[in-house]
Amino acid sequence: MQNETRVETGKPEKALWSKGVREHLVAYSFIAPNFIGFAVFTLLPMLFAFVLAFVKWDGANPMKFVGVDNFTRLIQDTTFHKAFWNTVVYTIGVVPFTMACALGLAILLNQKIFARNFLRTVFFFPYVASLVAVAAVWNFIFSPTLGPLNNILHAITGVPIEDLPRWAADKDWAMFTVVLFTVWKSMGYYMVIYLAGLQGINPELYEAAQLDGANAWRRFRNVTVPQLAPTTFFVLMILVINSFKVYDIFINLFAGADNQLNDSTRVMVYQIYNTAFRSLDYGYASAMAIVLFLLVLGITIVQFNGEKKYG
Amino acid sequence: MKLKRVFSMTLVTALSLSMIAACSGNNGNNGAAPTTAPTAGNNASASEKPADEPVTLKWALWDWEATAYYKPLIEAYKSKHPNVTIEYVDLGSTDYMTMLSTQLSGGADLDVLTIKDIPGYANLVKQNHLEPLKGFISEKGVDTAAYGGTVEQIQVNDEVYALPFRSDFWLIYYNKDLFDKAGVEYPTNDMTLDQYDELARKMTAGSGVNKVYGAHYHTWRSAVQLFGILDGQHTVVEGDYDFLKPTYERILKEQNDGIVMDYATLKTSSTHYSGVFYNNSIAMMNMGSWFIATQIEKVKSGESAATNWGIVKYPHPDGVEAGTTLGTITSLAVNKKSANKEAALDFLQFVTGSEGAAAIASTGTIPAIKNDEVIGSITSIEGFPADENSKAALSTVKTYLEMPMHEKSADIEVILNEAHDNIMTKNTTIDQGLADMKTRVQQILNN
Repeated sequence: MQNETRVETGKPEKALWSKGVREHLVAYSFIAPNFIGFAVFTLLPMLFAFVLAFVKWDGANPMKFVGVDNFTRLIQDTTFHKAFWNTVVYTIGVVPFTMACALGLAILLNQKIFARNFLRTVFFFPYVASLVAVAAVWNFIFSPTLGPLNNILHAITGVPIEDLPRWAADKDWAMFTVVLFTVWKSMGYYMVIYLAGLQGINPELYEAAQLDGANAWRRFRNVTVPQLAPTTFFVLMILVINSFKVYDIFINLFAGADNQLNDSTRVMVYQIYNTAFRSLDYGYASAMAIVLFLLVLGITIVQFNGEKKYG
Repeated sequence: MKLKRVFSMTLVTALSLSMIAACSGNNGNNGAAPTTAPTAGNNASASEKPADEPVTLKWALWDWEATAYYKPLIEAYKSKHPNVTIEYVDLGSTDYMTMLSTQLSGGADLDVLTIKDIPGYANLVKQNHLEPLKGFISEKGVDTAAYGGTVEQIQVNDEVYALPFRSDFWLIYYNKDLFDKAGVEYPTNDMTLDQYDELARKMTAGSGVNKVYGAHYHTWRSAVQLFGILDGQHTVVEGDYDFLKPTYERILKEQNDGIVMDYATLKTSSTHYSGVFYNNSIAMMNMGSWFIATQIEKVKSGESAATNWGIVKYPHPDGVEAGTTLGTITSLAVNKKSANKEAALDFLQFVTGSEGAAAIASTGTIPAIKNDEVIGSITSIEGFPADENSKAALSTVKTYLEMPMHEKSADIEVILNEAHDNIMTKNTTIDQGLADMKTRVQQILNN
C-alpha cells in the first residue's frame, strides 16, 4: 500500500542502494575518520616496513633490493642476539611476577580492609607517574654508594658498601633492577583489571563452595582461578606484548645522557632504533622489526589457542 | 563473539607493533616542519634578487638557551642585513645529528644547518642533503688556510659541504683550591699520561660525600679512549684496536682504585661533568674548551663553587710534544633543498668568517679562525684564570679530530661506542671488547 502511494507522489527513481547497504555505509562513515587516520599513520607505514625489510636504504638515496640478505645478516649478528635474549629474559622476569603481584594485591584490596580506596590509589600511582621522574628517583635510591638502599643494607647486614650489588650500574644486577622497577611500576594497572574481574565473580559460587566445606585455599583454587581465566589471559597477553616492545624504561634507567645501552641492557627496540636512525640502515632495522612482530604474533596466537582450550 | 575478540586482539597487537614498524618506516615522519611557506624566497635562486627583499632563514641548532653566541651572531648579522630574519629550530643536543638527518629526510624546510660532529656530517653527505661549497669558496675567495687545516679534514672526494665556525680542543681543568688544600703543586702545561695518573692518585682523598677524586672522565667515549690516538700512530677508523689496550688498562685501574668515579654509576645517575667540577668533588678533569665559557659564567652566577680554577694543556704520551690534543669542530652547512640558498650561504660566510669569529670569541668560545687576536680576546674575558699557564694552555701544536672523516664513520662510531660502554661497565674484558670492535668494524669496512 505504502509503496504504491510513494510511486504516485512522484518518486520514480529507485534508491541507489538497498537499505542494508545504506546502513553499512552510514556505519562506515562513522568509522572512517578513525580508520583513515589508522591507515595513513599506522597501516601503510607498517606495510611499508615489510617492503623495507628486503631493501637496503639510508633514507635518502635510492633503495636497493637485496632479497633476504637482511635476514641472513640477523642470524650472524651477535649484537642483535644479545638484544633478543635480553628482551626474552626481561619478559620472562616481568610477566609472572607482575601477574602474581597484581593478583595478590587485587585479592587483598578486594576485601573489606581499612583504607581500601587509599591503598588502591597508592598501588595505582606508579602507573600514572611520569616514567622519567620515577626512573630518576629509582636511580637515586639504587645508587651504589650514595643511595639510601645500599646504605640501609649496609647498616643492617654490615656488609661493606663496595661489596653490595651496584644495581642498575652493575652488569649482573641490571636486569634484576629493571624487572623490579617494571613490576613495581605496572602492577597497579593490572591490579585494577584483576579487581574488575574479581568483582564480576558471582558471590553465590563462593557461598556454594563454603557450604560444601571448601576452605579459603580451595575457594581460591576452584572458584577464583577458573573464574578469572579470561582476565588472566588478557593480562598475560598485554604484559607479554608490552615487555617485548620495551624501550623507554631501559633508556631512562640505563642509557645516560648519550642514549647508549650495553650488552647487558640492550633490548630489541633499542637495537631497531639504533640501526635505523644512527646507522641509517632502514632495511636492516625493518628486518629486525619484522622478527619482533612475528615473535609477538606467534606468542599471541598460542595464547589465543590456550584461551580457547582453558578459558 | 570469540571471533570478534580474536580480531580485536589481533588489531591491538598490530597497533602496538606498528609503532615500531613506523619507526623504521621514516615515511610517516613529517617532523616539526615549520608551517610558514617560503613563498617569498621561491625565486631566491635567481641571482639578481633585490637586497632588501625580506627573507626568513631557518637555522637548525641545539641548546639555544644555554649557548652564548647564537644571539650575538644573529644580531651582528641582522644589523648589516635588516631584511633577513633568522628563526632558529632547536633540535636538542641529545641525538642532534640523528634528529637533523630525520628532519631533512622528511623534507623539513631548514636553510642553515649546524653540524655537530663528523659521523653525522658523513651521513648527511652520503644522504645528499648538503650543498657542495667548493664553488662558493673559490667564488667568494674564502681563505681556507685561516681554519688551521680543519677544512681539509672534512673534505669528501675533493668536495667540501660545510665550513667550521667553532674549533674546540681538549684541556685539563683543575681546581686550585683543592690543590692548595692538599699541598700539591698545580698541574703543568707539559705532563705525560703517567705524570697525570700519578698526580690524580696524589690528589685523591677522603671518603663518602666528602671524597675528592683526583681526576674525572665523563661518560663519552672520547674522554677515555682517545688518549690512545695522541701519539699519531693510529686512528679509530682503521679497524684494529689493540693499541687502545694500555689506555683502557690505565683508566680501569684508576676506576678500580677509586681515583675516578665509576663509569656505570655516572651513567645511570646521568651525572653531568660540570656538576662534579662545580661542587669541588674532583681535582682535575679532561674536557673540551667549550667548558671555559660555561665555567666562567657559572662562577659569576654563583652556581659553580669551584671559583679558583685553571687550565693546562692536555697530557700526552711519552715522546710526544706538549700541546698535542684532541679536537672537534662545529660547522655550518646549507640544506641542498633550501629555497633561500643564496641568503643562507651569505649567512654561512658571515658566521664562519672573521666577523663571526670575533662575535664567538667575545663569548669565551673558541672560533674556527683562531689567531692571536681571538686568543687575546678570550683570555682577557673577565673571569678567565689569571695565571700565565692558563693563557699558554690555549695554544696547541697538533690537534687530532675526535672522529676523523671517513665514509663510514657513523657506523664505526656506533660500534666503538657500544664496545667502549661494554668495556667500561665490565660487560666484557678489555681484550674481548677490543677484539669485538675489530671484527665488527672490519665487517663494516669490507661491506
